[in-house]
Amino acid sequence: MNRKLHVLTIMFIVALVVSGCGTKATPPATTKPPEVATEVPVATEVPVTEPVTMDFVVWSYGLDTVNDNIKNFQALNPDITITLKDYSWLDYHDTMVGVFAANNPPYLLYGSDHWLNEWASAGWLAPLDKYCPNVAEYSNEVAPYALQGMTYNGEVYGVSYYADTMDFMYNDALLQQGGFTTAPATLDDLYTQALALKAQGVNQYPIIMAWSQKEGAFPEAWTSLVFAQQEGGNALFDADLNPVFNTADSAAFKVMEWLRKVYTEGLLDPASLSMAEIDQVKSMQAGAHTFTIAPQYNMAELNKPASGEFAGKFKIALMPGPSHATVGYVRFYAMTQKVVDAGPDYIAAACKFMDYFGGKTNGDYTVVKRWAVENGLGFAQLPLFDDPTVIAAFGKWGDVPMIKQNATLARAKEGMTPWYGIWDVYARAEIQKGILGQQSSLDTLNNMATKWVELKAAQ
Amino acid sequence: MKIKPRALTRSIFLNLLVLILIVYIAGPFIWVISASFQGENELLKKPPSIIPKNPTTDNYRYVFTGQVPTSYEVTGQLRSRISQEARLIAPALKNSFIIAISVLLINLLFATPAAYAFARLRWKFRNGFYNFILGSRLMPAMAIAIPYYVIIQSLKLMNTHLSLILVHSALTIPFSIWFLTLYITNIPRDMEEAGLVDGCNYFQLLKNIVVPMILPGLVAASAFAFMTSYNEFLFARFLTTSIASQTGPVIISSISGNPDVSYSLISVCLTLGMIPPVILAITMRKWLTEGLSSTITFR
Amino acid sequence: MSAPLTIKEKLRRNPNWFTEGLYAYASVLPALLVIILFTIYPIFYAVRISFYQNILTKPNSHPFVGLKNFHDVITSYYFKNSLINTGIYTIASVTGVIIFGLIVALLLNTKIRSVNALKIIILLPWAIPAVVAGLMWKWILNSDFGILNGILYSLGAIESYIPFLANPILAKLSLIMAHIWKEGPLAAIFILAGLQLIPNEFYEAAKIDGGGDLLVFRFITLPLLRPILLVVLVYETMTAILTFDLVYVMTGGGPGDSTALISWFAYAEIYKFLNLGTGIALSIIIALITLILIILYMRALKTEDAIS
Repeated sequence: MNRKLHVLTIMFIVALVVSGCGTKATPPATTKPPEVATEVPVATEVPVTEPVTMDFVVWSYGLDTVNDNIKNFQALNPDITITLKDYSWLDYHDTMVGVFAANNPPYLLYGSDHWLNEWASAGWLAPLDKYCPNVAEYSNEVAPYALQGMTYNGEVYGVSYYADTMDFMYNDALLQQGGFTTAPATLDDLYTQALALKAQGVNQYPIIMAWSQKEGAFPEAWTSLVFAQQEGGNALFDADLNPVFNTADSAAFKVMEWLRKVYTEGLLDPASLSMAEIDQVKSMQAGAHTFTIAPQYNMAELNKPASGEFAGKFKIALMPGPSHATVGYVRFYAMTQKVVDAGPDYIAAACKFMDYFGGKTNGDYTVVKRWAVENGLGFAQLPLFDDPTVIAAFGKWGDVPMIKQNATLARAKEGMTPWYGIWDVYARAEIQKGILGQQSSLDTLNNMATKWVELKAAQ
Repeated sequence: MKIKPRALTRSIFLNLLVLILIVYIAGPFIWVISASFQGENELLKKPPSIIPKNPTTDNYRYVFTGQVPTSYEVTGQLRSRISQEARLIAPALKNSFIIAISVLLINLLFATPAAYAFARLRWKFRNGFYNFILGSRLMPAMAIAIPYYVIIQSLKLMNTHLSLILVHSALTIPFSIWFLTLYITNIPRDMEEAGLVDGCNYFQLLKNIVVPMILPGLVAASAFAFMTSYNEFLFARFLTTSIASQTGPVIISSISGNPDVSYSLISVCLTLGMIPPVILAITMRKWLTEGLSSTITFR
Repeated sequence: MSAPLTIKEKLRRNPNWFTEGLYAYASVLPALLVIILFTIYPIFYAVRISFYQNILTKPNSHPFVGLKNFHDVITSYYFKNSLINTGIYTIASVTGVIIFGLIVALLLNTKIRSVNALKIIILLPWAIPAVVAGLMWKWILNSDFGILNGILYSLGAIESYIPFLANPILAKLSLIMAHIWKEGPLAAIFILAGLQLIPNEFYEAAKIDGGGDLLVFRFITLPLLRPILLVVLVYETMTAILTFDLVYVMTGGGPGDSTALISWFAYAEIYKFLNLGTGIALSIIIALITLILIILYMRALKTEDAIS
């Protein structure tokens, strides 16, 4: 037995050494970071000379429309072929990380402000204003929180197709049934109204959230509650990115305490912790709850005439809290370093893609406007607020002045750094534990702060 | 004959137990199949009905032909767009099949001679190699997923059937070898010794005498290899990037997280995805149970 | 061990020694090649990575850090809790699986007619992919549209739908229940095989002596099943520790970290915390734990054989 072990150990060590030779010493190597500049690319006015095929990765939303947009783009640019690939939104980040880490990225893809810093600092994405000067001008017309979400190290990495605010939504019919005429303006109001609605039997759980750990909108909804409790910025981090939320007088503490209260008193549906956006919306549609926080575009779905008995009764209110501030986020088209490495033809084609999909065709933001009008998606491009078609379309499901007001109160998430994505995942689990009562609110916030500091120091 | 009351209660109790077990085991299958024949509005009622009140084949029709089910157009408890991803289940299952069959064949081809060598022949390092092969299965797949990814990348085999065939073979061959070795060990040597006396070499021995004798074992081993490959999720998830090679479990898991796919469509995909293993499990159950039993009892 | 034999000696003992050896190596080589290339080599590659820092978003710096990754994993915030959770999960699942297997095997071994239906469907849960099983159960347990809630509610057993997967304790129980459903049949088949080995004379003798069902079970069946139960125990323990597919599909580790088993964190380290080094280090630790358990089993089995 001893001799066998001896032999096996030697075999093991030998194999270990052998496996190291003959392979790169740095597995898995990816592409160079953007600091290493190649020659300045040709201006994009030069037409694409050779046919170019690029793959475009998206999360699975509205694929019919995406395919149609691609078809139109290809009709205008016969030399360019785009092949579409989609992954579920809930798995998107993890899937793309795997793909990037193994050096097999797509050319074009959707990006989100959650991970821009993470991916740009790794050198996986290519800055747009450097390689596509033709889209640089669009940045001037974009809402500040959206631009912030697409910028890393002073460079812009995307053109936006969708930007939205986290809105506080409520079922007006149920609210009135409970005897209230106006939406709650503060967390205390919300608590009182929810309590009354429950007592009267209107809802078993008046409040619902989509706070599954896989749901990307979870941190945004939580953060929007925090922003609303505080006037001014730096609700979570100060100017030097040090955490300021783990004190007993912080906005975050108020929010955690409130959440714990509504959870224990049965006002917040416990199922919220395993719910993702789609179930949340279906639940609201069915009238199972009165209050929720969700991305604004869901209002179009909720108020669609055929959606159910409460169609048309859903309304937006300002985020409950003294400042009514909320979170604005942005999703955008980005191009990977692979495009740059592939040469000027690919760069030119990618720039045309960006121009069509996130910019203007014949003076109009065609694609973005289409999403807004057909699906109710919010947008970052400010001129669209004045477009009559858009206003009319939005007016069908929402109160346009309220939407505008929310947009002015929206801020980008704080702490957008290369390690935000990692911290975010950790924070989700911690917030859930705090809501469940497995640890105190202060402990939750302290854990989150400690993790942040740890990640920051490791950079 | 008087029926003893104690025997009666015993009989009732046991039959009840069997009934509960049948419900526990088969219930989920019946529910998913039933749900695949219901429109989403019917499915979202509280409580849902086990037997469809308005059974419809619309969901299946959508998956195979792309014709949108009528319930989607009439009322929307769903979002207004329907994802095409549900239609990927058919090509995905085809991929699963191709890969699993190839793995089955490779197992038969490679594991049988190896098992014979381990079971019958005496040679140096026999035990060492045996333990080496069995020990290869200890490492959690997660750790080798990315190194495997890099290897496959450098072999330019990314997103092909071949990459999964190779890794699934590597995963299933150890079990096949172990299983067949035990099986062969328990078969009396008489026939082979007669063959040796007659002057057969080992290959002839294997082909003409041993294989016919261990046919049940081979069937069981093939079934295991097929099922393991067909059900494999982790490597299939991380080593495939498009429907060209994505297998059933990968597509099913992706579809289930896709908000634009209704529960009815998810059920259709689950139902279609479980048909081959279910058929295998029902038709081959004698061989499978015998095979599994023999590994336990002959050590 | 005696002194190594000379070739002449070997040929004398077994005239076919050389051809046997040649044939053996030739037969084993293809299988070995596939396994070495596609399992062993990646394993060593991975082990090597674990000694370097490897953060996915920093692809250009891989300094050698020795055992630091392992240290980071063991001192991380999740290690102890996750091990405890995995331990609880393993004990509960394995116990559940064995009890399930025993009950089903005993039933299958009787002559009750209804058991024939059970025989046909028994392997179904084991045969389907774990992802499919997890999704089926996730949906059945859904807090708004799940059929389980529907049935309980219709029967009047509950007043309102239960959020099975959003409650830390219920989520664990749900995971265990799905695990038992998936793994139980295999245990049942194994145990049935063991039952069928027990000669009928034992039971007949017991009947003559007037032993009731329970006594027979306790003093005859159980002891004779010991070796089989041990094998099932080890196999199921390994499976429980390595559970990933079910967690991935049903709960994603939540709520909080209540269903975040240790193999889930191996995934999370790589894909969420983006640290390949620690992810692989954790996987190695899990493999070592599993190996130790298997060695303990081997020891136990040897003593079993010695005793019997």
